[in-house]
Amino acid sequence: MRINDRVFGMLMLILAVAYGWEATQFPIPFGGQESVGPETFPIMLSIILGISSIYMIVRPDPDEKWAPVAMLIELSVVVLSMLAFAWAIEPIGFMPAAALVVSFLSWRMGASITKSLITGVASSVVIFFLFNNVLELALPLGLLEF
Amino acid sequence: MDTMSLLMQGFAVALTPESIMFAVIGAILGTLIGALPGLGPANGVAILIPLAFSLGLSPTSSLILLTSVYAGAMYGGRISSILLNIPGDEPAMMTCLDGYPMALKGKAAEALAISAIASFIGSFIATIGLVILAPILAKFALRFGPSEYFALFALAFATLGGITGKNQFKTLMAAAIGLMIATVGIDISTGVQRFTFNTLELFEGVDFIIAIVGLFAISELLFFLERHAGDGLKQVAINKLKLSAKDIIKVLPASFRGAVLGFVAGVLPGAGASLGSFISYTLEKRVSDKGEFGKGDPRGVAAPEAGNNGAASGALVPMLTLGVPGSGTTAVLLAMLISLNISPGPMLFQQNADLVWGVIAAMFVGNLVLLLLNIPMVGIFVKLLSIPPKYLMPIVTLIASVGIYSVSHSALDLYFMIGFGVLGYIFRKIDIPLVPIILGMLLGPEMEKSLRHALVLSDGDWTVLFNSGLSIGLWTVAILGLILPMIVGPIVRAKMSKSKEAVKDV
Repeated sequence: MRINDRVFGMLMLILAVAYGWEATQFPIPFGGQESVGPETFPIMLSIILGISSIYMIVRPDPDEKWAPVAMLIELSVVVLSMLAFAWAIEPIGFMPAAALVVSFLSWRMGASITKSLITGVASSVVIFFLFNNVLELALPLGLLEF
Repeated sequence: MDTMSLLMQGFAVALTPESIMFAVIGAILGTLIGALPGLGPANGVAILIPLAFSLGLSPTSSLILLTSVYAGAMYGGRISSILLNIPGDEPAMMTCLDGYPMALKGKAAEALAISAIASFIGSFIATIGLVILAPILAKFALRFGPSEYFALFALAFATLGGITGKNQFKTLMAAAIGLMIATVGIDISTGVQRFTFNTLELFEGVDFIIAIVGLFAISELLFFLERHAGDGLKQVAINKLKLSAKDIIKVLPASFRGAVLGFVAGVLPGAGASLGSFISYTLEKRVSDKGEFGKGDPRGVAAPEAGNNGAASGALVPMLTLGVPGSGTTAVLLAMLISLNISPGPMLFQQNADLVWGVIAAMFVGNLVLLLLNIPMVGIFVKLLSIPPKYLMPIVTLIASVGIYSVSHSALDLYFMIGFGVLGYIFRKIDIPLVPIILGMLLGPEMEKSLRHALVLSDGDWTVLFNSGLSIGLWTVAILGLILPMIVGPIVRAKMSKSKEAVKDV
């Protein structure tokens, strides 16, 4: 199967066209039109991207195997957990958020629940104190602030 | 000689207690980073940049720290090659060929010691080469005008896939994507907003450090998860070191040859450390035909290891003098320079002479530190290597995110980092190389600036890009760099995998 490259090539071709079109819509800069404006370089780039994506569509490489659907779902869950960590770092605080995400990640990578909890809690506490007290980079305390 | 006195001034910078401290810290961290499978030097340096940045280190200290990390990672890469038969990064692949068989024979400690000595020789000779070559190249590069620079940037992208590159169009595509990301934001010379969609956060463009950490570190985590590689691999037990002076003398010629070849491969565009270690190994095999190459010949460990470290230092020559990096890790070091507001290139040697020479001198110091560290302390690194990735990778990811977060204390940066991680995962699945993307983001602004300067000077005449002998030469090399791999690439790749398979059969 050579579907990956074809689909990706199509997407990139759309990007190239959209990007190039957007570049032609730039407002004329203050001081009038010059021989090279802000749009010259982007237009060149969209041509290069266009050519290479057409090549990809016409002569695709063999596919690398995608993970099975179950794994893709798992990877999305992992990505969501990291996004949740990014969101939680300020309202909830660094230590609890980091402890949760590290435990979750190491559990998903195959560690037992107790061991991953230990890893999560220990690493987040150590990193918090290392950053706050030794390196003097303040990380948010969040809920632990009283 | 002028260079000598500058170098001596450099040593005055490098031998202050502060610099030595950073060199030692960098060397230890670097060895760890290089030894851990799946981290690799580019990744490690990328994770440390935001930290060095938010700690507010001086440019000299941060550069000393990161070049030591870089050198250390090259040393560390050999540990997993020898003990696990898994190269820490691509250039370390050739070290597996004889290193792992040696370890299987119960000579793991000797293989590690020999490779440490060879690495030292490789970096040491290549650093001397850097001292000699860099000022000459920098002086020569002063003659470059904007159109030559534009051609040079094109050359950097064209040769980035390297002689072993698989699909040149994918390299080109990656470069275009990177350059496109670089155009997001307010245009420097006209103030026009480009591709910002009126979002305030995009006005300053996309921070390349966030992109680097996301593309490398986060996508690596996803790959680890997918491969269920959390448990790590079985490693060969390490024995007690029995190394005589005779054994060391026996590998010296191999190390010297490897070092010189590696340096040359590192300096040349498109060759890089992988080719450096490959050439050193094959040459060594041909020169000393009586050995048992592929079955644990010490010279087969020394040659590629010297070559790969030589190439690593050699790659700093184009990065420092022209501002055009030749490999992933030097691209990341370039990111460091740019974010410290130092523009690399020929002017660097004039404007920031103390910094450059301080860093070069620090490389000598760092190498010595690495040699001293690596022989007695190798056992500690080996212990750390046995921590399974299932505990290590989450912690590394956490440190990476803390680094990104502490630069500007915004959760938005973290969202961007994760987004780039997902993109990196998809790109790697489709075999789109990540390094040209990074390089595009780094060089984009400079490349566009040179194009504009050239065209404004010529009043919009595009032939100005090809009207000097120098620029025509650069364009020729660029086009060759793009076309040659399509012809030579399959042959070289076949040879590399053949020599690898030969070892598996043993």
